[in-house]
Amino acid sequence: MSLCVLEEETFRHCCRLILQQSEQLRDGWSWESVQGSQEGYLRKTALRSAVINSSPVGDQVESSSESGPQTSCQSWPDLQQHKKEQSVLVASAGADSIQGDIDDEDDDADEGVCTVSEGSSQVLQYEYHILYSCSYSTPVLYFRAFTLEGRSLSLQEVWSSVHSNFSFRLQNSPLNTITQQNRGVHEACAAGGSGP
Amino acid sequence: MVACLLCCVVDNRKVSLPLDLGVCVLGIYSLCATGGRSSMADDKDVLRDVWFGRIPTCFTLNQDEVTEREAEPYYLLLPRVSYLTLVTDKVKKHFLKVMKAEDVEEMWFEYEGTPLKWHYPIGVLFDLHASNTVLPWSITVHFKNFPDRDLLHCPSNSVIEAHFMSSIKEADALKHKSQVVNDMQKKDHKQLWMGLQNDKFDQFWAMNRKLMEYPTEEGGFRYIPFRIYQAMSDRPFIQKLFRPISPEGNAHTLGNLLKEMYPTAIPNDGEPKRYQVVIHGIEPLLETPLQWLSEHLSHPDNFLHICVIPTPTD
Repeated sequence: MSLCVLEEETFRHCCRLILQQSEQLRDGWSWESVQGSQEGYLRKTALRSAVINSSPVGDQVESSSESGPQTSCQSWPDLQQHKKEQSVLVASAGADSIQGDIDDEDDDADEGVCTVSEGSSQVLQYEYHILYSCSYSTPVLYFRAFTLEGRSLSLQEVWSSVHSNFSFRLQNSPLNTITQQNRGVHEACAAGGSGP
Repeated sequence: MVACLLCCVVDNRKVSLPLDLGVCVLGIYSLCATGGRSSMADDKDVLRDVWFGRIPTCFTLNQDEVTEREAEPYYLLLPRVSYLTLVTDKVKKHFLKVMKAEDVEEMWFEYEGTPLKWHYPIGVLFDLHASNTVLPWSITVHFKNFPDRDLLHCPSNSVIEAHFMSSIKEADALKHKSQVVNDMQKKDHKQLWMGLQNDKFDQFWAMNRKLMEYPTEEGGFRYIPFRIYQAMSDRPFIQKLFRPISPEGNAHTLGNLLKEMYPTAIPNDGEPKRYQVVIHGIEPLLETPLQWLSEHLSHPDNFLHICVIPTPTD
């Protein structure tokens, strides 16, 4: 586990520096404060084009009960061919492979990775929030992605839009790489509840 | 199937819990207050009563759903400590019998117009929205028009598992700087989830007890994982850092926590009590030590979920 601990005051200080840089670069970051207090978060909206796969995900077979490792096949959209090769390498490395990450929860290697048809390139709106988690003493990035018509992307679609550099980790533990949470804007600390 | 209704009355309020839990907690607290130590047996009883708490529920299909014939309501005892999407397969199967496949999308639940967040423990949803109403709890089932703005999608049990495990990890970050949860192996994490999923108290607690330990010299956890929910609020919940022991070495109580985090919940001297502070369907005494509450009345996700609701005026 990382021994790096960020104090909230330091986080705010760093945010101020980021905001100064952002202004010079016209990068679009702003500070949203929480109802008349010092607490708040960094916010930015952006338009991005990304390749997402909006085709319905294949049958999500529910994980079997206690007996054994999961054998359900979950369709993770596959952006490039060479990923198949990567999966094979992972399987052979076995339990010795070191991920070196804080969240070291790999899904069972037995899960099949099915390829799905190619996605289409779309222009999407992203809204980013960076706030301070006092539970973990680190910054946390939240983002929302939606189409120009205002439809929120599903978790599967977001996974499918991730750059191929991250595909290795995403395939192995998607829910520990990018997951969904509800958070309320007014929470002073850690994740809150309303609105996707 | 009609479930028999577990209606217990405590202080003239119907509670959705076995009488045992309220009596246990009050009993143990009074032992603490007189300076005696609660016995290990009593403490374990509380753990069991929390785990096995049930809410009798009646599921009715939303009138606007397209059905091939009339849909009968479905009755079920819901575990307080679990999650809606984890325990309602039978509900789905029941209603699918009268519907065509093309009219069925992701199932979601609503109570009196409020979409129910599946990622909140069931007991929290009940205490927050329906605790002072007549049992069974009446929930409306929908298969269309999923409210994206209010609810997270739940395409599979993996999503529930990920959410559950992430709560456990966050709780341990607060209690132990993540040391205990990180020392566990992947199969230990799986055991926690399987225990919840399959309603196996012993399997779950064999592992969870490690998350409830602390160095004796510390007197308690580093910080208490808690969330305070308010029924009528745009703010989803309150969660902040709070220590179980004061710098002088005194045990912080539930009352201390509320005074710090949500003082409105506690009436001033002479004022009438406007709010109830509810955990697992009961109102623990405000003098109850917070560390004890965290160890015994937390949900399986290791958080103490506290609901502050208006006192009924009838």
